[in-house]
Parts: sequence; structure tokens; C-alpha cells
Amino acid sequence: MGRFLLRRLVTSVVVLAGLAVVTFLMTQVLPGDPARAAAGRNATAEQVAEVRVRLGLDQSLPDQFTGYLGRLLHGDLGTSVFTQRPVLDDVAAMLPASVELVLAAMAINIAVAVPLGVYAAYRRGRAADVAARLITLLGAAVPVFWLGLMLQLVFAAQLRLLPLTGQLAFGQEVPKITGMISLDALLSGNWAAFGDALLHLVLPAVTLAAAFVAVVARTVRSSVITTLDSDYITLARSTGASELRVVVRHGLRNALVPASTILGMQLGWMLGSTVLVEAIFGRTGIGAYAVTAVLQNDLYAVIGTVLVIGVVFVVMNVLVDLVQLWLNPRLRQAGSRERRPEIAVRA
Amino acid sequence: MTRRIMAVDRIALAVAALMVALAVVGPLLAPHDPYAVDLADALQGPSAAHWFGTDVNGRDVLSRILYGAQVTLPATVIVIAAATLIGTLVGTVAALGGKALDEVLMRITDIGLSLPSIILALGLAAALGSGLRSAVVALALTWWPGYARLVRTLVREVKDAEYVDAARTLGVSRARLVFRHILPNALNSLYVQTTLDVSAVMLVISGLSFVGVGAQVPSAEWGAMIAAAANNLTNGWWAVAFPGLAIMLTAVAFNLVGDWLRVRNDPTIREGVR
Repeated sequence: MGRFLLRRLVTSVVVLAGLAVVTFLMTQVLPGDPARAAAGRNATAEQVAEVRVRLGLDQSLPDQFTGYLGRLLHGDLGTSVFTQRPVLDDVAAMLPASVELVLAAMAINIAVAVPLGVYAAYRRGRAADVAARLITLLGAAVPVFWLGLMLQLVFAAQLRLLPLTGQLAFGQEVPKITGMISLDALLSGNWAAFGDALLHLVLPAVTLAAAFVAVVARTVRSSVITTLDSDYITLARSTGASELRVVVRHGLRNALVPASTILGMQLGWMLGSTVLVEAIFGRTGIGAYAVTAVLQNDLYAVIGTVLVIGVVFVVMNVLVDLVQLWLNPRLRQAGSRERRPEIAVRA
Repeated sequence: MTRRIMAVDRIALAVAALMVALAVVGPLLAPHDPYAVDLADALQGPSAAHWFGTDVNGRDVLSRILYGAQVTLPATVIVIAAATLIGTLVGTVAALGGKALDEVLMRITDIGLSLPSIILALGLAAALGSGLRSAVVALALTWWPGYARLVRTLVREVKDAEYVDAARTLGVSRARLVFRHILPNALNSLYVQTTLDVSAVMLVISGLSFVGVGAQVPSAEWGAMIAAAANNLTNGWWAVAFPGLAIMLTAVAFNLVGDWLRVRNDPTIREGVR
């Protein structure tokens, strides 16, 4: 087990180093003068020259990379041309709103996908199963940004049930504690603001969750089916255990291992998908930040976001492996071979 | 039940074929010029003259969707073809090239798999400059690691099979062994995955265009059309709704075809489990 953990950590460090190389190359392929790009469009010749020296662009490529790596390790992701602030500060300010959205989407994902998968497995081949298959089919095919717009059209613009955009109604205020508005409202005991923040979360969270529900429901369904077909379920049934107990206790329990792997990985994917969702709903998270940065040719801000999401993703993968070890004792004895299922579905 | 699913598969094949056909002959069917601006006719709802209405510039939405198929589908196919090529190469070399090479290539693959492709593609596209071509290159460069993993696994499964051993014993050359005996059998499962990926790649391409990194504004690319129409969501919903439905219908069709191929290809998948 110790060897397995060590190997995972080494792999993660290698991946992070690779990420540094990839992002460094991104700064190199940019057409034109990287010093001018980093200094901004309106910079004077002296400012460009100063940036060139500061970023070490007058040095050889390996030296430049060493410098880049050193700056990364010190948390220096460069300065955003657009906001004129250090990229790390920008990202740190934006991350809580994205984490809040991802957690809300994950809650919806689990609440919908797990029961759907179990029920579809239990009613295999019947109308409910066909309906579940249809839902997962559409979920895997819907463009998230389009779904967001359609939900806005129906639930905000037409029915006026939910707010169109934003994170909090005008006039509501919460102190900044974690940066997640709903949590901050809760912590400060402001129930009106808490309810309002949750209402603002519904549409973006549903939009973000939609594509992920399909994958989880499918996984849960097929592992529950496999379990329900096994001998010990027949045995459990013959002892007179109730259907609910058989399906939920035995069926669901066995689905937990594959489901938790996928759910854990999905946290990282969801953070990536915020680029398609946040801007539509006027949320100030890192997804919206990345999109603005791309459109402003703010390369260091883009790269900073890529790096931060990459780090979160790598950490999530290590955590997923730890949870796997905890849920599945058999893995603890196994050697260091790879055992995570190949996840074919990408978002 | 079985019959019902088979009917679904047949419809899916038909829709997928129809979408591919539309990508080829779509412009011939388009009732209007997809780029003709007619401000007097702007934001007209669906009618007999304009089945899917007109957008903010008075352009016919149906015609633009028909032309758009010629942008989105070929871009998707190019991404998948390039990613398959790179992935097959890397995966095969990793599986057959010895332990050290395998380790290096798989760690590089890990890096690619360590990020959501939309994020990596966004970063690359930003570095390469906006435009559909950048988006396609960026996506191909981020999409291959999944195939490399898959091909490596498949080749490793096949390379020690008895018939390969037999061929090796008979003195078949290494290149022939790889190209005639190992790869064809290993790649049998790859095309199922590539079919299933059509919808995923299409969604990312349209997503990149939607946020402004892929196809640019006047283009009839479906994601870019939705982005351009989003500002007039409430008074021109049709210009948002129909391109999205086109994406969704195509994605559903290709997913169903991929599913059908998967079940057909794998006799161990029991009826109803898929």
C-alpha cells in the first residue's frame, strides 16, 4: 500500500512537471514577440524591454525554462495584461465561485444519477429503463452552453421562476469568508441571502451536471445489474429480505466502487466545463476568467488557469485512488499495477 | 424490448447517415443564401418562408444549419483522424518498444489525460490564435492520449496471442508482424471508441466556437451561430434553439451507432446490460 501511494505521488509529480513543460511551450508558440504579448498592447518600447529582461526572454531556451519553473514554484504565474494583477491573485479570487458551482452540480449529479441508475437496473428492459436510457442518451449529447441558454429562456425569461444571471440579488450582501457566497451567507446567519444564493445556483448547476449524469447513471446501472444477477442476491431474496433491502443494500453497495471513481474524476472535468457555463450565467469564476483571458489575448492568465485546473485535477486523481483503497480492501494487497478502469467517456 | 432497441439502432444509423449526407449535399438543399444579410427580415419567427426563422441579421437559420454541417462534421472527423493516428503510433510503440520507452510514452500520455481536454484545448488555441484551424489542431493535440492508452492495451493483449507467436516462429519480419498480424486485430475495437467520440469531439468544437476560440463570427459553425444569437435569446429563441438541436441530434445519432457497434463487436455484453 505504501509502495502504491509512493508510486502515485511520483506519477503526479511527473505529470505536474509535464504540465509545466506544456504551458511553457504555449508561451513559446505564440506568434510574434512574447515580451510584447506579456507587456500588453499599449506598452512602450522601454516597458517591453524591461519585461523581456524580467521574464528572461533574452536567455537561451533551457535557461528560460528553468526561470519559468522557478517562478511557478514561487507561485508567480505572471501578471494579467487585462486586470493588471498577478494571475495567481486573480485565480484565487475566482476559484471559490467555481468550486461552489461544481459542488452544487455534483450534489445534483449524485442525487439524480444514482437513483436513476439503480431504478433502471431494477426495472431492466421495462418502460422505466428505456426512459432512463433516453435521458442518459440526451444528457451525453446536449451541448452544455445551449442547455444553459434554453433553461434561461424557459425558467428565467418566460416563467420567471429563477434568476437569469448573477450570484446574488442586488441589495443582498454577505461578508467575504470563504468566497463561496452561499456558504458565507450560511456562516454569517443571513438566511435570506443564503436562499437567494441557492436560487442563483440552480440553473448553472443543473446545466453543468447534465452531461455528467449520463455517465454515472450508466455505470451504476450496469454494476447493479451485474450484482442483481449474482447467486448471493438469489440467496438474499430466498431468505425473505425485502426487495428494497436487496436492491439498495447489495446492489448499490457494489456499484459504489466504480461510481466513486467516476464521480471523483468528474469533479476535475466539471471544473473544466465551467468555461462553457459561467459566462452565460454571469458568474465570476475561473471558467469565465479563462474565457475572457483568451478573448483578450491575455496569455499568462489563460496559462495560469490551465495550470490551476491541472493541479486540482491531479490532486483529485490521487484522492480518488485513496478512496478506492479505502472502499476496496482487495486493492490494498495488490501490487503496484494500474487498476483504475479506463474511462472512455470524456466531457 | 430487443426488437425496440434494434429499431432504435436502425433509426440512429439512418439519422447519422442523413447528417453525413447533409454535410455533403446540404448547400444544395438550402432554401436561402446562408450569408445573405437582410435587416428588414431580421428576427422573424419560424414560418413557411423561413422554417427555422431568421437571425438578427435576417439570415435564414435553416440554410445556415445546412451549411454549418459542412463546417462542424469535417472538423470533427479531422480531429478524430489525427488523434487516432498519433494515438495508434504512440500506443503501438509503447506496447512493443520495451519497458523504458513504454514508461516514458505512458507518462507523456498521463499528462495529456491529466487535464480536461476543453481546458488544454482552450490554452493551446489561445496560444495558436483564434480560428477554427487552431481549435482543430489544439483538440487533435489533446485528444490522442486516450487512444494511445487504448491501443497500448489492445496491442499488448494481441502480441502474445498464439497466432502471433506462430507467425514469429515462421520468421515473419517485424514490420509485417506489426502491420499484418498485430495491428489489424488490435484496432478492431478502436473504431468503436472513435465512433463514440464523434459526439464528444463535436461538442468540444462547438463549445470552443461558442466561447469565441474556434470558428469566428460570420461562420455558420453551429456553436458560433448559438453564440451570435445568444444576445437575442428572448426575442429570437429560434436562432439559438435550432442549431443546438442540430448538434444534439447528430450527437445522439453517432452515440447510438457507436453503442450498436460496441454491442455487435463484443459478444460478451449481455442483452440489456449495455
